[in-house]
Amino acid sequence: MTDTPLPPASAPQPAPAASVNSGNLGFLSIFQDVGGVLGGYLVTNTWGRPLEFRLSSAVQPNKVQQILYGPTLSEYLHTELIGKTLIEKTATQPGLVIVDSLAALGLRAQINIPVVGLAPEHPGSADPLAALPADVIGFTHPRSSVPLVLSAKFAHDRPEIEAALDKVDQSVDLSEPFVRVREAVSEARKMGVANRAA
Amino acid sequence: MPHEEEFPTLPTEGMAQDEHVILEIDLLGELDALPHPRFERPLTVSVRDSKMLANPPWVRPLGRLELNVQTEGWKFPAPPPEFDKPPPPRSEPAEKPAGRRVVELAELPDDHTDPTGKPKEHIRPRPTADTVIFKDRLLYLLQPPLDGLFDGRSLGVPFEPFPYQLEGIAFLMPRQGALLADEMGLGKTAQTILSLRLMFHQGMIRNALLVAPKPLIFNWSRELKLWAPDVPFEVFPADPELRRATWHSSNCPLKLINYESLTRDADMAAHPKTFFDVVVLDEAQRIKTPGSKTAEVVKSIPRARSWALSGTPVENHPDDLANIFAFVDPGRIPKDTPPKQLRVLTQDSILRRTKDLVQSDMPPKLIRDLEIELSPAQKAAYELAEKEGVVTLNALGDTITVQHVFQLVMRLKQICNFDPRTGESAKLEQLVSDMEEVAANGHKAIVFSQWVEPLTAIAAALEKFNPLQYHGRIPQAERTPILDRFKADPSCHVILMSYGTGSVGLNLQFTNYVFLFDRWWNPAIEDQAINRAHRIGQKHPVTVTRFISENTVEKRIADILDAKRKVFNDLLADADKPTSLGLNEDDIFGLFDISSRPKRG
Repeated sequence: MTDTPLPPASAPQPAPAASVNSGNLGFLSIFQDVGGVLGGYLVTNTWGRPLEFRLSSAVQPNKVQQILYGPTLSEYLHTELIGKTLIEKTATQPGLVIVDSLAALGLRAQINIPVVGLAPEHPGSADPLAALPADVIGFTHPRSSVPLVLSAKFAHDRPEIEAALDKVDQSVDLSEPFVRVREAVSEARKMGVANRAA
Repeated sequence: MPHEEEFPTLPTEGMAQDEHVILEIDLLGELDALPHPRFERPLTVSVRDSKMLANPPWVRPLGRLELNVQTEGWKFPAPPPEFDKPPPPRSEPAEKPAGRRVVELAELPDDHTDPTGKPKEHIRPRPTADTVIFKDRLLYLLQPPLDGLFDGRSLGVPFEPFPYQLEGIAFLMPRQGALLADEMGLGKTAQTILSLRLMFHQGMIRNALLVAPKPLIFNWSRELKLWAPDVPFEVFPADPELRRATWHSSNCPLKLINYESLTRDADMAAHPKTFFDVVVLDEAQRIKTPGSKTAEVVKSIPRARSWALSGTPVENHPDDLANIFAFVDPGRIPKDTPPKQLRVLTQDSILRRTKDLVQSDMPPKLIRDLEIELSPAQKAAYELAEKEGVVTLNALGDTITVQHVFQLVMRLKQICNFDPRTGESAKLEQLVSDMEEVAANGHKAIVFSQWVEPLTAIAAALEKFNPLQYHGRIPQAERTPILDRFKADPSCHVILMSYGTGSVGLNLQFTNYVFLFDRWWNPAIEDQAINRAHRIGQKHPVTVTRFISENTVEKRIADILDAKRKVFNDLLADADKPTSLGLNEDDIFGLFDISSRPKRG
């Protein structure tokens, strides 16, 4: 009898990535607002044209929640609570989800779609990839003006991510739609829609 | 536990273990203090304590531990399958249809950064102030930037639009009612076509109608093939029965019709089953006359969006603008609105740019007013004709009308062109001399006249420059080949055009010289003629020569028109004076020393 080594208990069970039959892209931005942490999620086609947009209410953890969730709070908010909810409630499913923060990379463990992130800016560093944490893999692609990252736990997604990005129109820059998402969230706040979602 | 049997027993028979029962206690009656097995001393029961006992565990709540989030979403129109094709693969070279120049990526500067390295501001459609539904506002806020879309890598275009043209597209796309009033030559056609193309791609519109003057339909067809090769279009045929089928049966997303056919098809155009997501009026000044059949038919078309294109939305009077807005946004301008309020009421729906404003790098337009002394024969004929004409007008007394004066003006202008007896022409001598220089330098020129007859005489005099003629007497089918030949044949140095036929819609930016052999009544028409050559794509300065016979009625008219020319631009800026831009009745009577005036009342 041969013992098969089990993965460490802390490692997530890597869900097989959904086949990228949809060329659509999902842009998920989660950020801190005055009312708490909230998310905006835009699904576009491969030309970058909007297909669907979803907005979350702002989540403001209270003191007890902050204490009890401890250091897991940020990732929980970004991935399980806001990210996963937004993606699951959106009717148009993407073939690839792009996030703009490292905290949201863990979303990949919650959904069956490859997740890639924009590498954070490091103003003092000439090479943004050099400053990445150990559990993150950095790479570049012509469709993004900033380097891309994915979770090292899901390194096997990379060929699929690159194949999906190759199908994206050349006028699209992956960092640009996040500007639109934030403008839309700002507009929602101005028109009181953000409060309605809450 | 001696007192255990003294506890009230609960009816447990037939109950599940975790079911609760309500123990009825007469709190108002006398209660005994009962010993409890968990406590050393009997408890003193009070109402408050009994409530606490009934709500174990005995902890103070700290609030909810779980976090919740709500979401709200909006789905946008899906692009129809024919416009939702995957982008071209990166490895394949850009498609190059015959006769088109697709910009090569390698030739393009990086348009995402300026020379200082700062990211450029993207040009994007923005929701208008009157877009109140959040979903509609989102649709425009979430559109991708226009810059980069047309750089030749993705969507086929003959050349990359200028930034101001992208701003024009960003202006048109979100507007239900819009007047694109760019100066002629700035590419209103391309901006409109690209706006429609993007909206078809996005699924914002499913069908559109484009109304244009008959001579321009071919030009629109050609431009559509260039700027939107993936958008099918159909031109309404001349045959009424075939047109009927086009109105009722055709599913073509974009249809083109001329004003005359549209007017004849008034019933079908206004039919409730007819509906267009966009109706575009080219040369929208055609509906400046309120109550005209053209204006009424155009306004009757059931539609969601109304776009008007005109480089001269105010040809004669500020009311022209109000009448165009009766189509663009019915009800926007109340009846009898003072001209000074027009600008306030319309400014958010008008976009007007001039070449000076947007094209600082465009070659200049050099205006050369050439005052020509009449030849002796012309001078004699002119003086005699004017003298006799004035006598005749004065003899008319109060039966005189403006038409009588017009007849004299026309007669004198014709003499300024050619002496009726000898055929002498000082202007023609000058023109032949100028054309020698034009041809010697390998350039091309356009000559405009109000009449066809002078053009025929000019053609004979310019024979060695292989002149081509383009005017109302040239059959429609022959006109396009003439333009093609003028462009392609290096030996053809001049084309002779009438203002009526050649002043609008034609792209002759390969021409560097324009001669106005005689002057039109309205400076706006002259500008249109000049801008056949001085338009986007022009790489060299354009010299405009305006022939004016000195000491004649031509000079007097020119002085009046020059004084009024600036009013047009003033109205679209800050002017508040309602002034006629062409010659009004007083102007015409003032051309001659006549005392007669029409009888009023």
